[in-house]
Amino acid sequence: MTRPEFHPLQAEEIARAFNDAGVDYLFLGKSGAILLGYPGTTQDVDVFPARTPENGRRIAGALKELGFDISAALEAEIVAGKDFVQIKTGPFDVDLVFAPDGIASFAEAWQRGVTVGVFHVASLRDIIASKRASGRQKDMIELPLLESFRVEYEKRSAPPLRSAADIAADKHQRGDS
Amino acid sequence: MSPNDTTPADPEFAEQCRRQLDRPLAARIRYGFNRVHKPVLDDAPWRSFATMAEYRAWCAENLPEYLGFKPAAK
Repeated sequence: MTRPEFHPLQAEEIARAFNDAGVDYLFLGKSGAILLGYPGTTQDVDVFPARTPENGRRIAGALKELGFDISAALEAEIVAGKDFVQIKTGPFDVDLVFAPDGIASFAEAWQRGVTVGVFHVASLRDIIASKRASGRQKDMIELPLLESFRVEYEKRSAPPLRSAADIAADKHQRGDS
Repeated sequence: MSPNDTTPADPEFAEQCRRQLDRPLAARIRYGFNRVHKPVLDDAPWRSFATMAEYRAWCAENLPEYLGFKPAAK
């Protein structure tokens, strides 16, 4: 498959296109952490969208505007809000993660999220919770670095609200089920 | 390190974090995003999975070990 060359500002293009289309979304995963200032690299853009048919239609429209080839079958999967939709038909790779591990709901994550430039980004604690819950080798390797980054990040940007992981940890300590 | 620890594990990495936090967003994007072809993963125009469990199982079964998508050992 021949694909046009990736350039870094494409991350900004997707944020602008989503904002213009009124998409409810958060950047998640390592791409989200990088926007927050994490000194790492990534190859794709992880997006956590709200799972509604209307939001799915807005996403499909925004991706088409960016030059993605969105077939009717792919659009149907996006509108249906399948848990994970991986798209490689455009100028860069996008993973739509409608049900990320370790995060209970989009609405709660949105309240904890932050805006960096034009980007809506999940809270660092939610990003870490999601990585931890995935259980993948590459995420387990990254976790200690992300936690170290969190220490420095929160010296400058204290979390406004507690993450789902914090609440779960408190319940566990209290012995709640 | 637990979610409430406040001491970074590696002072050199902590300094690297501070430098990156000082950089503007455009620099974070410029140096943070790249693309390298990933075998198997990049060989289909798109995929969808009804559940994350199905996605994880597909990764474990189909992707090369060195990409790191398989479950970590407990």
